[in-house]
This record gives sequence, C-alpha cells and structure tokens, in this order.
Amino acid sequence: MTATTAFREGMRRTNGAPVLLAGMCILTLLLALPLALALRAMLEAHLGSSLVAEQVASRADYQWWQEFLFQAAGLGTTFVPSIIGFGAVLRNLDALLDNREMATTIAGVTTGWLLIWSFLSGGVIDRLARSRRTRAHHFFAAAGVHFWRFLRLGIVALLVYSFLFGWVHPWLFDDLFGRLTGDLTVERTALLIRLAGYVIFGAVLIFFNVVFDYARFRIVVEDRRSAIGAIAASWGFFRRHFARVIALYLLNGAAFAVLAAAYGLLSPGAPGAGVTMWIVLLLGQAYIVGRHYLKLVFYASQTSLLQSALAHADYTAAPAIEWPDSPAAESIANANPIGP
Amino acid sequence: MLPRVAMAITLLALSAPAAPQQPAAPENTAMAAGTGQPRSPRNANYRILARLDPSARTITGEEVISWRNISNRATTTLQFHLYYNAWRDTHSTWMREEALATGESHGAIEPEDAGSIDIAEMHVTQTGNESNLSSRLRFMAPDDGNARDRTVVEAPLEAPVQPGETVDIRIRWTSHVPRPFARTGAIGNFFFIAQWFPKIGVLQDDGWNCHQFHASTEFFADFGTYDVQLDVPKGWMVGATGREMARTEAAPDRTTHRYIQEDVHDFAWTTSPDYMERRARFEHASLPAVEMRLLLQPEHAGQEARLFASTRAALRYYGEWFGAYPYRQITIVDPAWQSGAEGMEYPTLFTAGTRWLEPAGTRDLEDVTVHEAGHQFWYGIVASNEFEHAWLDEGLNTFSTARVLEQAFYPAYYSRRYFGGFFPLVFKDLPLTRDVDGNRMPSYRQFAESDAQSTPSWRYWPGSGGFITYDKTALWLGTLEHMLGWETLRRILSTYYERFAFKHPRPDDFFRIANEVSGQDLTWFFDQVHRTSNTFDYAIELETPDEDASTVVVRRLGEGVFPVDVRVRLEGGQERRWRWDGRDRWTAFELAGHARPLSAEVDPEHVLLLDVNRTNNSVSARPAARAAANKWSLAWLIWLQDHLLTYGFFV
Repeated sequence: MTATTAFREGMRRTNGAPVLLAGMCILTLLLALPLALALRAMLEAHLGSSLVAEQVASRADYQWWQEFLFQAAGLGTTFVPSIIGFGAVLRNLDALLDNREMATTIAGVTTGWLLIWSFLSGGVIDRLARSRRTRAHHFFAAAGVHFWRFLRLGIVALLVYSFLFGWVHPWLFDDLFGRLTGDLTVERTALLIRLAGYVIFGAVLIFFNVVFDYARFRIVVEDRRSAIGAIAASWGFFRRHFARVIALYLLNGAAFAVLAAAYGLLSPGAPGAGVTMWIVLLLGQAYIVGRHYLKLVFYASQTSLLQSALAHADYTAAPAIEWPDSPAAESIANANPIGP
Repeated sequence: MLPRVAMAITLLALSAPAAPQQPAAPENTAMAAGTGQPRSPRNANYRILARLDPSARTITGEEVISWRNISNRATTTLQFHLYYNAWRDTHSTWMREEALATGESHGAIEPEDAGSIDIAEMHVTQTGNESNLSSRLRFMAPDDGNARDRTVVEAPLEAPVQPGETVDIRIRWTSHVPRPFARTGAIGNFFFIAQWFPKIGVLQDDGWNCHQFHASTEFFADFGTYDVQLDVPKGWMVGATGREMARTEAAPDRTTHRYIQEDVHDFAWTTSPDYMERRARFEHASLPAVEMRLLLQPEHAGQEARLFASTRAALRYYGEWFGAYPYRQITIVDPAWQSGAEGMEYPTLFTAGTRWLEPAGTRDLEDVTVHEAGHQFWYGIVASNEFEHAWLDEGLNTFSTARVLEQAFYPAYYSRRYFGGFFPLVFKDLPLTRDVDGNRMPSYRQFAESDAQSTPSWRYWPGSGGFITYDKTALWLGTLEHMLGWETLRRILSTYYERFAFKHPRPDDFFRIANEVSGQDLTWFFDQVHRTSNTFDYAIELETPDEDASTVVVRRLGEGVFPVDVRVRLEGGQERRWRWDGRDRWTAFELAGHARPLSAEVDPEHVLLLDVNRTNNSVSARPAARAAANKWSLAWLIWLQDHLLTYGFFV
C-alpha cells in the first residue's frame, strides 16, 4: 500500500465512523467548556454594567482588552488578543514549537485531555482498524483493555518527550541558536538557522512520534501486551517501511496545513455582532471539527498502512470482545431444562 | 619575499595608529565653521581625531576641548564622563542597576565584549600655561558613592577657571568598543559608536552636573561645535553627527572622514562596510529644506520609502507644531540585526529600527523612526537634563510621536510575532488609538505608582523608570490637550521650544510657560501628575430603587483629584450633566422627576487619560456584559479546543 492509498483509506475509514468523530468533538468540547464558562464569568464580572460592554459585545475593543488583562489573574491571563481567528492557530503552534509555558489551569485541562484521549484511543484505533461498526460497549471494552498498555507506553513516551522538550529544545533553541546567531547581523540568516532548528527538532520529534504511534497501533492490531515489545516492533516497522511511513506522515501534515491555511483565509477574525458573530464562531467550530477529522484520518491511515504490511491485511488480532451475560441471565440460562 | 627586517618594519607601520597630527584647539566662536550667528552658547567645543581598529574593536583618539565657564562661579576642578567604563565589569553602577531592573545579574563580561575608556594623558592650557593633569585624575561617584564605578573622572586644576574664562583641554585616550550595551557598540562589521570619548560635564551655578552613567537614564551636555576626523578602513561607509566636510586617504587601506557640526551637544557615528546609502530631501512650504541620508541594511532594501516617509512626517509635524528643524541634514541609521542599537537619538543622527518582515499595518517602523527623529527637537535642540528630568524630552516626545502617527500613519493595528519572533501577524480587528496605545496607558498602568515623576530620573526604580518618564508624561499631556484644546497646548509647546532651544530648561520652566500661555494656574494639575505618584480612578454607579427616583453615585477610587463631568442619558433622548470637582471620595446626584436613566458616565469625553480603569467609568441600565462575555468566551473556546488538539500531537 502506498502512502497515498493509505491516506485515502484513512479518509474512507474515518468517513465511515461519524459517531466516532462526533464523540471526539464532544469530548474536547466538554473538557474545554467548563473553563470557557469560568472565563465567561470573569469577563461578565469585569464588564459589570459598564457601557463598555456594548462595544465589547459588538466588536473587538483592544483598549478594554488591555484593561481586562491588567486586572486578570489565573485563567483570565490566557484571554489575550492573539486568540482571534487564525491567531489562535499560530499561537498554539508557536507555543508547542517554542516550548512555551502554559497557565496552570490550561496545563491541567491539557493533561486531562491527553489522559482521556489515551484511554479512548484504544477504542478509537480498534474501531478504525476493524473498519466496521462496533457497539459502544465494544468500543469502551477495547479502550479499557488497551489503556494500561497505553499507559505503560505513555510513560516511556513521557520520558522521551520530557527529554526532548526539557533538554534538547532549550539546548537547540536557546544555547545553540544563541551561539550560532549571537554575532549575526543579518536577520534572514538567523531566520534560516531557526528554521533549520525547527527541521532538526521536528525530525527528532516526528521520529519518536511515529515510533510511539505505530507501537500503539501494533498493541491494538496485534493484541500486544508489552509496551517495550510494541516499541521495538514499531521501530522495526518504521525501519522497513521508512519511505512510506514518512510520506504518509507528511501527507497528514500537509492535510493539516491545508486546513489551517483554509481557516486562515476564511476566518474573518474577531466575531462581530448578530449573524456575523455566529458565522465566525461556527467557522471556528467547523475548523475544530476538521482538526478532529484529520486526527482520526491520521490514526486510520497509519493503522491501515501497518495492517497492509502484516501477513493478513486488515487483520486484527484481538477477537471481538464478548461480554459475559449478567448473573440473572446466566441463572435463567442455567435453569432452562431444554438448555444446550 | 621581503627580507624579515623590512617585513617587520612594514607590519609595525601598519599597526601603528595613523593619526600622527594633533587636533588643533577648536575656535570658540560662531565663525568656527563659517555659519554666522551661533544658536547656542557653544561653550564646549571639540576637535577629535579618532582611529578605529575594527578587528581589535579599539578607538585611539585625541581630542581638544575648548571649554568656557558659562556659570557664575569659578571652578577648581573639571569633571568628565567616561561612559564606556559602565561596561568594564559588573561592578559599575550601570550594571548593578541593570541587574536590579531585569532581576538577573549579568554574568562576567568577557574581555572582548567589555567596554572601556582609558585616559592616557590630559593637559589643560589655562591663561597660556599648560599643565599636565594626567596623574591627578580621580574617579568619583557623586550619585551613589560606588567606589568601583569609573564613569566620572575629576581633574583638579592648578588654578580656578573663572566665569567667562576658556580653557583648552587636550586628552589622549583609548576606548574599547563593547559588544552592544545601551545601544552603543559593535557586532560583526557593524559599529555604532556613541558616548565614546571623554566628555566634559555641565558646570551650573550650583556646581558640576556630571552624573554617573545609570541604566535607566541618558545624557546631559553643553552645546558646542564638533569637528571630528574619523579614520576607518577604506571602503567602510561612515555616518555621523553633522556634515561630512572632507574625505582623505589616511593610508592605502584607510580613509579619514571629517564631520563638522555646530550647536550640538553630542557626537555619535557609525561605520560598516555593509551599509547601502540612500538620500532624499525634505521640502516644505514654510520650513527649511533638510537633506536626509539613510544608511540602510541590505536586507531592508525596499523599506527606505517608509523610513523616509516617517522622518519626513516628524520634520513636518514637529516643524509645523513646535518650530523648524534648524540643521541642514539628518542621518537615519538602520542598525544591524542584534546590534541592540535601534531606537536611539543623537544630534542630527538617529537609529531607526525595523525587521526583515515588517508588515505595514504594525507601524512599529514608523513609531520608532518618528520618535527618534522627534528627539532632534526634544533633546537635540531643547536640551533638558536627561539624568534628572528625562520626562522633559522622552515624555514630550512620546506624546508628540503619538500625535504624528495618528496624523500620518493611522490606522495601525495590534500585531504579534511568532516562531522565535520572526513571523509577524497583524490583527486588523484591533486598531490602536492614540489616547490609549500611542500615549502608552497599558504600560503606565502597571507601574503607575512606582515613583513620583519629580524624583530625579536617575533615582527612579530602574525597572520602571521608563514608564513614569515616557508614558505618564504622554498621558498627562494628552489630558492637558483635552482640557485646554490642542491649539493652546501646541502654543505651550511651541513657546517652550522657542524659548529653550539650545538651552537647558528645567521642569519649572515648562510649568511656568504652561500657566502663562494657557492663562490658567495649572499648578494643581502639575502638583498631582508631576509631584506625586497618585493614580486617578473615577467610578460610577446607578441606583434605581423605584421607578420615579434614581441616584447616580460617583466615586473617586484613586488618590488623584481631577474635576470631572457626569452625564446621564435618559429615555426619550434627554441628557443631564453635572460638573464635580472630584475632591471628595464620593458624591451623588439625584434624578427624581426625570425620565428613567439609560446610562451614566463619569468623564464621558475621556478628558482624563490618566484614569487607570476606564471600564468603571460608565454604567448602563441595560447591561450588555452577558452578551459580550458569551461571545468572547466562545471565541476563546475555539482557541482552547485548538490548543488541546495541538498538544494532542503527543497521543
């Protein structure tokens, strides 16, 4: 299977799992919503009965915004002007790539989201690997079965990512970048060095990301129990199918770039009032749905690439989980004189 | 191959300083450069010969200062600034204050990065007798007693210099050009050289005014004529204070550039082989023409139009509002990236500051260029003491800059840079305003109470002094503009400019002119904004206990007192207004018998720009806070969802 075929297959499988997509979107929304409500209360309290609220309700009022930020604490400090429109996308990418600190509340919800997603991803991958409908109980059973394996894998991943962001990133972008550009007088050259830094760090990051991703897929598809064994098997797969794996990763990356660019082009920026406000907000949510969709395509396409390379294409080792009947059903069955 | 001896002689010749001639004493008259009537006292005139060795980053120089005592007292000593010694080590007052300001102590300065200035010889010629003061020089620390600070040196004289008497001071010195500190220094092939020579202090009637170099303040010097010869490698472009009068080949690989400028109080220069030179001319129906010379970094090619337009705007509006720019030329220096030299002013020369990616909507380029060009007026010509009253130039200039930007370059928008600061994004939904952003309320608000403005600037808390200097002044001038009207404020500023051009005004000079021109006693205002660190914050509430009666309660939450208007809008389009002197902690206005109030505002015309909390200045009977909060929390929700998905990269 080529990378393009795998990508198309990933789209096909994701298209066939609309409930999964909706569930993931709702999960993210539900996790983010309490903080949004908390922020809403802060904004409302700050505006009180002021006339300024009328302007703030109808447009972006930068002068009020700065006043709010001056008085804000905790979560309120994350309500910054650069969340508007495409700025939000750049801000988040910048925060990730430049390893910026998060507000405590945001770090908390991010950790929660990662844990829940880790739990659910067993079910998600299982669903996408089977490429056919599964019931809710099957989905959650798969999630439960794989969670502890994923947790062990996650600990290894956490150690690796902590090393990358805690040591390699500062070394690369603070120490080395500082040394290489310290005497530069041409900004363009420094920019090229910075970009080279992103490429190097990105390559290392992608390498580990790919290894951990395929380890996760192998755990589900091959019903592996050992996280270390899965990582080793993933590494073997990566080595054997290097070009296709990377090409698929880049295809997925390109799909995200296209989505982000489309949002950047279409997003009108700050929400105004009335219909335009709803258009802006809905466009934002459409973009968020698109991101979820691509996340699932990412999973599905990589899973299908892995499956295509196994002895039996589309093979999923773990049998469909059969739940035991309830004690009541069992006793009824046992009481049946005709019984089997 | 040359014989060894010949080669050694050749190397010696090449490495020896190529400034064998001594500078002659400058003529202490208006005719020194043939310019007719002097504009300034010209009591501190310099002739300097300087040779730059770029590889060693050293300047070997010799200067003759012809200094006239224009105070009413005799002096038995001379005092000089040796600014480069601020970066000799980490024990200087500048470095200590910088550590306080940033909260981080600077690591040891590497020898090649350090700045220093060492006087090898000093001779004074007084009434025809020359005396060698070299061995008598002693460092002093008049501000903080820091025995390890070497930025001021004193030379005891053999005989007092009487009022009106002139002495010639011949100094031979060596400077090591630092890696840039305080917007002077060298990086790569880029040299921006300021505060680089021994510079005499200002003798006033109450003694020498010669402060140590401080991290948060700048300079103060007497006016004079500078005649400076700069010996640099051949092919290196030079920009400097004044006009280039001659260019000679000092050696096969060296060129000497001679610059002269009358009626200035400092001399800065720059050199680099990488500059691109551009020229343009400022012309105006009622203002003198000015030759504009731009030394541009090659990577900024294409931005020259914006740099010239900004300089033009400053020359035009400052000229129209306050008074004409009196010199024939101005040099705009576009500093190299990471030189740390951007945004600095010197007489007839300033550094702008731009980036490779500089979208038009940001106006950062225009802001810094107009501001530094504007300093030609507030600093260059009206030469207040920046050590003690920095607000007189920085504050007036911040206010003026904002006004020019609004006239010539608005709309401007909030912008943010991403990915190491290289990629800018302009937020066109967030336009900047002069009153708030131009006059810098957001930064003032954070440090509003850090110091009373009347505190000598060098004694401000180093980390926040700038906000009191720049921002608070701009805000209270903006408040004055709203109180008195632009035309009155403009006349105050132009009168101040006219009376104190080429002089050293003090705060009371400005306040006196403000009272005189406005025809009002504004002492109450200056007492508060200048002599205290009080903040202003008025708030309003609307109490409607029943349908027929409402009460408007206005509160003074800050310590600052300011008379304010109170406006209530009523159903049916009616309006009621009151004037409150703003003194008590609160006051109330009854609305019995009127139509129901829709809204109430204190200071509805936003006269008091210093009010640190604008949101509580109004109240509506139909609050829209919920709708606003809903909208913006939903917009923020999109950011948070995107954030989660971005970090979802890890799972």
